[in-house]
Amino acid sequence: MQKLEDSLRYRTLGKTGMKVTSVAFGCMITSDASVIERAADLGINYFDTARVYQGGNNERMVGAALKSRRQKVYISTKSGGRTKEAALTDLDTSLRTLGTDYVDIWYLHGKTHASDLVPELLEAQEIAKKAGKIRFAGFSTHGGFEDVIPAGIALKHFDVILTSYNFTMGSSIDKILDDAKAAGIGLVAMKVMAGGFRTAKAGTRQYDVLKRDGAFLSALKWVLRTPRIDTAIPSMTDSDQLDQNVTAMTSQYGSTDEKLLAAQLRHVGPLVCRGCGGCEGVCSKGLPTSDLVRFAMYADGYGQFALGRERFLELPDEQRAVRCSDCSTCPIRCPNGVDVVGRVARAQELFG
Amino acid sequence: MKLEFAFAICAFCAPAAIAAAPAPSCSLVPGWAQEGPARSYVPDTLFDYMDGNAEGYLIYEFVRMNGVNCKKGGDTIVFDVSEMSTPEMAWGIFASNRDPRLPLEKVGTSGQILTRRAIFAKGKYFVELAGNPASDADLRAFMLAMEKRIDGPTELPAAIGWFPEEKLDKSSIRLVPESVLGLSQLKRGFAASYDFGKAFIVKEQSADSAAAVMNKLRQRFSGATPVKVADEAIQATDKYLGRMVFFRKGPFLGGYADVAEGQDPVVLAATLAARIP
Repeated sequence: MQKLEDSLRYRTLGKTGMKVTSVAFGCMITSDASVIERAADLGINYFDTARVYQGGNNERMVGAALKSRRQKVYISTKSGGRTKEAALTDLDTSLRTLGTDYVDIWYLHGKTHASDLVPELLEAQEIAKKAGKIRFAGFSTHGGFEDVIPAGIALKHFDVILTSYNFTMGSSIDKILDDAKAAGIGLVAMKVMAGGFRTAKAGTRQYDVLKRDGAFLSALKWVLRTPRIDTAIPSMTDSDQLDQNVTAMTSQYGSTDEKLLAAQLRHVGPLVCRGCGGCEGVCSKGLPTSDLVRFAMYADGYGQFALGRERFLELPDEQRAVRCSDCSTCPIRCPNGVDVVGRVARAQELFG
Repeated sequence: MKLEFAFAICAFCAPAAIAAAPAPSCSLVPGWAQEGPARSYVPDTLFDYMDGNAEGYLIYEFVRMNGVNCKKGGDTIVFDVSEMSTPEMAWGIFASNRDPRLPLEKVGTSGQILTRRAIFAKGKYFVELAGNPASDADLRAFMLAMEKRIDGPTELPAAIGWFPEEKLDKSSIRLVPESVLGLSQLKRGFAASYDFGKAFIVKEQSADSAAAVMNKLRQRFSGATPVKVADEAIQATDKYLGRMVFFRKGPFLGGYADVAEGQDPVVLAATLAARIP
């Protein structure tokens, strides 16, 4: 049987030159430092946290767990500060809480629009670099990829981008990621198991089935199958998850994985909008179709009828009056297999 | 702090009392007015609001959030009320977000004023106020006013009172929503730190399922030896969890890990077991 340590594989994180394990560690929901310590001892060498996680308690735990290993590992954290002063104050707090003089990567947290990458935050990262408090500058993004990632590339400021990337997204942002890669920007993937697994909670039957079938591992292998991603940071709460995820570094993504993920996509695919924007501007009546798909999801998926109706009623009168049945044909074809017309009609039926 | 341990009478996992979802309001405190529209989020859309931190809510069984922004002169307060599945989960997310170095406030089940931020839990609701800059007095005024609008129990989860108090770091007690001690076998429970180690209490659905977990733990720690504590118990040593004793008492699992030399983990575990009803 192969030792876990033999499963380690390294990739270079863009122009940073950092040799990171292709599976790194997202510490966000980790509760016990022993899992982080064990990961570091196994050879995982990149750990990600953020100022906001658990009100700062996450940084405290990560710092304590890695204190004696600081020279052997890379640590990143993030600030959601909206001004230079707020971000730099966050950074100082992070360093103090982590118990370190510097972080390897400091991300601007959760940027969705090009306009979020404001000059004063970039300046904050420059100041922090010059002060030796950070080695590299990055930003994280969970959406709006088509807008924020090209803008981030064009600024020629960022060393690393931390982005959502999982099998439910297909190839929708591959071109953008390739552009970032070509610019020398290191790419870190997060939410690698989110997508279809978002509703599967530990302890539930669905979770157990997915875990038993190995779908979680398949989702991670899907991300690692492409060299455009330098490392992934799945969240891990226990040693079993850690052991499983480590094996993803040397496991080939194959037909079994494909079948498992296809089954999961069939489960969520027709209902859940992936936010690719492919249907926007296509409706001849001018409907914001992805929004309407989501409004229907509020009612059908989460029992939040009132919320769905509230959002629907915020639409302009002329959009609320439209019925899909008014058209004999519809040009919308979702590249991700969402039944857009059916879901929009469902929203009209429920809320109109 | 005494409030934390006084008369913790609610059940370990008491079901939530049915309560109307409370909406935050800027008019709760004179001089403040709402700026912009109210907002609401459910699990699938929480990512739209708090990119990068949503999982921290989802893991505590987040149900929905209502929020508003309030303004008074140059001060703003972001005011959010999150509904979790149970009061236990609401306290759990509160405990994970509180600063262990700061005192607690007697608001709802428990509350805290942090730097430009106030949080509290009451019933199955978790309330957050983020000021910019907003004084502590304003944050406290909103806390107290909002607390009156929320129905629901204010008792702490009973299990918190079961941890022996000697050398206990009371600010360390928390609800671990997944993988207590980093062990997948211990799905959810309470954990506490002592100056000589750490303790936990997990409730399984039945004595049988708890016994099944004990068997898994025996397999996980193959060198474990049986010891006499409660219904059944094992003692083991692990590179990362140190000296450990895990026991079962009916549907409850408990124990100590990382026990320092000079302390007997079996004695500690027996003391903890005796406090579990």
